[in-house]
Amino acid sequence: MKNNRLFFWVLTGPGTAFLLLFLILPLMSIVVFSFWRTESYHLYADWNLDNYRVLATNPSYVTFLLRSLFMASVVSFVSLVVAWPVAFFITRYGGQFKIILLLLTSTPFLTGEILRVTAMQQILGPIGLINMALTTFGFDPVTALMYSKTATAIGLIYLWLPFMVLAIHLSLLNFDFELLQVAKVNGARPLRAFWEVTWPLNRAGSAIGVVLVFIPTLASSITSKFLGGPNGALFGNILAHQFGSTGTWALGSAMGVVLFVISLLVLYIVWKSIGDLNRSGITIKGGAE
Amino acid sequence: MFRNLSITLQIVMLVALYIFLYMPILYIVYVSMQTTAIWPFPPDFTGEHYVNLWHATDYHTGFRNSLIIGIGTGMISSVIATMAVIGILKYRVKGSKLIAGLFLSPLFIAHILIGISSLMFNKTLLGLPGNLFSAIIANATYATAFAFLVLLAQLARYDWRLDEAAMVFGATPRRTFREITLPLVWPAIFGAFIVSFLLAFNNLEISFYNLGATPTLPTLAWGSLRHGISQELYALAALINAAVFSFLGLLYILIRSGVIRMDFKD
Amino acid sequence: MSDTVLTLEHVSKNFGAITAADDINIEVGQTEFFALLGPSGSGKTTMLRMIAGLETPDTGRIVIGGTDVTRLPPYKRGIGMVFQDFLLFPHKTVAENITFPLKMQRSSDTEKAEHLQWVVNLVHLEGLEDRYPHQLSGGQKQRVALARGLVSRPSLLLLDEPLANLDRELRKEMEVEIRRFQLELGIPFVYVTHNQEEALTMSDRMAIMRDGKMEQVGEKFSLYHNPTSQFVASFLGSPNVFSGRVSAVDGEIATLDWHGHAIQARAHGGLKPGDAATCYVKSEKIAIETDAGEMSGEIRDVIFKGQYADFLVLLDNGEEVTVSSSHRGQLVKGAKTHIIWKPENADGFPAGE
Repeated sequence: MKNNRLFFWVLTGPGTAFLLLFLILPLMSIVVFSFWRTESYHLYADWNLDNYRVLATNPSYVTFLLRSLFMASVVSFVSLVVAWPVAFFITRYGGQFKIILLLLTSTPFLTGEILRVTAMQQILGPIGLINMALTTFGFDPVTALMYSKTATAIGLIYLWLPFMVLAIHLSLLNFDFELLQVAKVNGARPLRAFWEVTWPLNRAGSAIGVVLVFIPTLASSITSKFLGGPNGALFGNILAHQFGSTGTWALGSAMGVVLFVISLLVLYIVWKSIGDLNRSGITIKGGAE
Repeated sequence: MFRNLSITLQIVMLVALYIFLYMPILYIVYVSMQTTAIWPFPPDFTGEHYVNLWHATDYHTGFRNSLIIGIGTGMISSVIATMAVIGILKYRVKGSKLIAGLFLSPLFIAHILIGISSLMFNKTLLGLPGNLFSAIIANATYATAFAFLVLLAQLARYDWRLDEAAMVFGATPRRTFREITLPLVWPAIFGAFIVSFLLAFNNLEISFYNLGATPTLPTLAWGSLRHGISQELYALAALINAAVFSFLGLLYILIRSGVIRMDFKD
Repeated sequence: MSDTVLTLEHVSKNFGAITAADDINIEVGQTEFFALLGPSGSGKTTMLRMIAGLETPDTGRIVIGGTDVTRLPPYKRGIGMVFQDFLLFPHKTVAENITFPLKMQRSSDTEKAEHLQWVVNLVHLEGLEDRYPHQLSGGQKQRVALARGLVSRPSLLLLDEPLANLDRELRKEMEVEIRRFQLELGIPFVYVTHNQEEALTMSDRMAIMRDGKMEQVGEKFSLYHNPTSQFVASFLGSPNVFSGRVSAVDGEIATLDWHGHAIQARAHGGLKPGDAATCYVKSEKIAIETDAGEMSGEIRDVIFKGQYADFLVLLDNGEEVTVSSSHRGQLVKGAKTHIIWKPENADGFPAGE
């Protein structure tokens, strides 16, 4: 019906306009700013590539970026490995408790990054619960947990793991667990059945989960600031710095563009790796007609 | 035997995950009620940090600002996400996948990018200073993605033929929405509002870049955390955790007890 | 028809490349039970949705009770409808569901109560008024859906596969009930189904649709016994199909050469000698005898159905024919037998349509 198009745009139009205007347009604008110049806290529109030259040639920026990439990879991988059995159990055996079990994994997310980092600092830091308990009972404290990259990684997993559980759970909701029985009847052992049936059919869930963890981790600054110690700064910290005391917004914009491009690249690679959606277990739920 | 082992392992992982997620929260609640934050054992309970928090006026301002951002964002996000989800699910036209992608795209954009891009866009191109309004707008971009996700998951099970039935029986589109659609989907809309409200209320990075010196609870917490241990901050964390959990607990109980019905089929 | 309630004139509708309705003309009279029968995807549901106003035709006119409603939205048409899957409002009680159309018409409370009372008695829902849909059985939901369709005493009731989700036993019962309501109320019912048994049981007249086209419209007996379209001949009943070449045409009757046998059928579609033809004979219109007949063979299997039986007869020319007849002791597996049918019980069409 022609009316359908009209109603569709009347309903989706305001949100579409809102997002284009207040999300996409500002994001595009930082691409523009990244070719500008900052001088004493002011942006000047003389077009140049200096910001990118600085990023490419100054080894410290490259190091921070590589460090962030490594951190994001580790955090995504660990989250994936931890989230799978949990999401599988909740979806398969959760029964009437499915919703509450899932809510329990995602509710802490809603309390915000800063409070969660605050809580984590109380556990991991030099005067945190773990190390104080160890020293109180006469053991050596674990220095790896005190203001280190390990602490940052644990903190980031703490922050973003709920996304992974959620993504895998949503994928498993559309998965027919009977297929596992079929695989087992045909002689596959449980692990083999998982590897041959469950994993490939839920690749999309894993992939989306990885992206949802990887991207914020890559850009993270708060966690490393409060858990990472003096040598734990990540790319996000340097980026935030440009908008703080130094006020070099143009360089910061270029760093933002780099982050954004890498995010898109990761999204693209992961999307390609899912392959044919029809074979990945994603079902587009049908409505009327 | 092998099957049991596998399930046991899954249960162990689940329990370990819950401990990992909740031990820090429970510990901070505990610490907020202790006289000292460093190894507060044996316990020595006190309410002084809560009293101090109560008297700290900057936290009052921060709370008010966070509330404004939360409510503003919650309303914008839940309204535009509800409209969009209904549009996409009810009128399955070409291009709806692209629009759905746009609504979900903020999930794949780091908060810091949203924060700095809206800061620079407003200041440099529009000449607008950061204020609560621009913070609401910037928070609403990504909170809409979450509201959209919540609504999409719920309304995917809604049978739009119910609306058609109502129209055949004489209900105008407006009446249909009021009599049929809204009574059936409002729990999902309410859930979307709660989620986007909480996200914006507790957001640090986006609000920070848009607000400058205007305090919110998360920016105050951030400042306080930079200066080391502050047990008022722990008291605040405890209260916010309690609020978040009671919100969702209430929602859950309402659904469970059937006061809110989440199933659209008879 | 002088008492025509519903008229469709040259109605066409396309969804992209798919033709859902191609120049459809229908008239339904005041006291008629009209069935729209067709396989899934034939366009019968689209037809009903256009009558209800849920779809707009590309061309053509729809007239209900003398008013052109082609461009009218559904809520201004004042018709009743019973939906597939019932589509009861899950948050409303049985009484609220049933009186919903009255509420939309802003009827008074007394009027609502009177109509409710009347329709609840009609469909036998006494005592269930305060239940919610999820507390009802399938049959009860069906009755609520019917009551909601009838409560405002509409000028026309549309039914969209209303029995598709009921089990066989209940379906039989509801078929009789629905027919009773229609006779009692004296309003036209337009009933969409893919189940020919339902259509044949309840309707006065029916239309058979395929690929958006109306294949044949008429009284159900006429459609069943005198199909004029090859599709109708092949669709209704469970006909045997014979393919052969026409050897002679004598008036209305054509003779086909079928694997060495000469078989006779009514000629349709301008059959002439030499044409390849397909001939349909309903299985119950073939006589099966042990002693004499035109074609001989042996019973390969007997499928006993109670009231009658299907005999699978392997003819001497190697072809198999199904015959439905009352079960008789001498017709056992392996028995020699003969079959025969009257030419007017067979319908031949040009092949390859």
